[in-house]
Amino acid sequence: MPEVYPVGMADIRIAKAPDVLAVYGVGSCVIVAMYDPKSTIGGLAHVILPDSSGVAPERLNPKKFADTAVPLLFQTLSHAGIFKGSLWAKVIGGAEMFPPTEDFSLNIGKKNTAAVHDALKKLGVPVLAEDTGGTVGRSLEMRLDSGKIALTVLGESVREL
Amino acid sequence: MDDVLNLTKQQLDALRELGNIGSGNAATALAQFLNRKIDMDVPSAKILPLEQVSNLVGGPEQQVMGIFLKVMGQLSGRFILLVPTTTAIKLLQALMPGFEINFVNGKFGEMETSCMREVGNILAGAFLNALSVLTRVPMLNSLPSMAIDMAGALLDSVISDMAAVSDHVLMIETAFVECQENLRIHIFLLPDPASLDRLLEILGVK
Repeated sequence: MPEVYPVGMADIRIAKAPDVLAVYGVGSCVIVAMYDPKSTIGGLAHVILPDSSGVAPERLNPKKFADTAVPLLFQTLSHAGIFKGSLWAKVIGGAEMFPPTEDFSLNIGKKNTAAVHDALKKLGVPVLAEDTGGTVGRSLEMRLDSGKIALTVLGESVREL
Repeated sequence: MDDVLNLTKQQLDALRELGNIGSGNAATALAQFLNRKIDMDVPSAKILPLEQVSNLVGGPEQQVMGIFLKVMGQLSGRFILLVPTTTAIKLLQALMPGFEINFVNGKFGEMETSCMREVGNILAGAFLNALSVLTRVPMLNSLPSMAIDMAGALLDSVISDMAAVSDHVLMIETAFVECQENLRIHIFLLPDPASLDRLLEILGVK
């Protein structure tokens, strides 16, 4: 039986077929999924903020920020023996959950998504699929036997990404 | 305050007392406009690791209504009220007797949305009023924003930018319980990390 491993906020986790990596209830956070179909090894990074600059290095948790978490996931997968040439990424989340009012707007979701794309571009990892933005929360399960992601939005049927 | 993990027991007790005073006033306000008896859970001041935040209120995928407000003034922070949708419908029925509640495909009508935002406005206003009197620091709440979605998704977008440095968040939490139908409204106050020192100073527990 494949194991299902949940990946919480500001966490990174990798696994191998036939296991499943999952995140439940993603709002403005962005989930970066990387997968290598040859080795059937993949991982998820649960990014909560776009940019680590301004945080003192000794206090920095690299798993939180797009600019540090994406390279860290890549590195962790490299050490696990993936074929870098066949590695791809999928990007999910980055919603704006609360509609803006006259007093404030929360646009962290958009910033997170843009920062994740920048980081992936720097590493040269192609983005195979994406479901980002909007105003809805998402849940996902990534099967490491195929790299396919089952995506759930409340009130809709499960989609495959 | 570098990290909320460094808060002492005495400081957490003082913050909990703050929650007690604020939510006492908010519960009174709620009882008055619902014209029903409202009980209140004993407030808590919790330091939660990030990965546990989405499990508050029935799990990350639980459909809830979230009402979000910012606290503005010399002390800043955030309020989030979480109400299970079934509870929100019952609250609306109590607030708008004889009105048919419009809730289709996980969305309320304009009237219902506006009414629930007002509930958030009144609760946060009453809460902050009590705190302003206690601390002698004026605090105001922003206009509320409302969304219905997975609890985890609503919470992550509220707390993420408060957790740039610490891997934990401080939440002052309580719940209001309407006795007749056992309706629960969860309310969370999150002081901004930058305001926390000032707040502790005012409370005399710096």
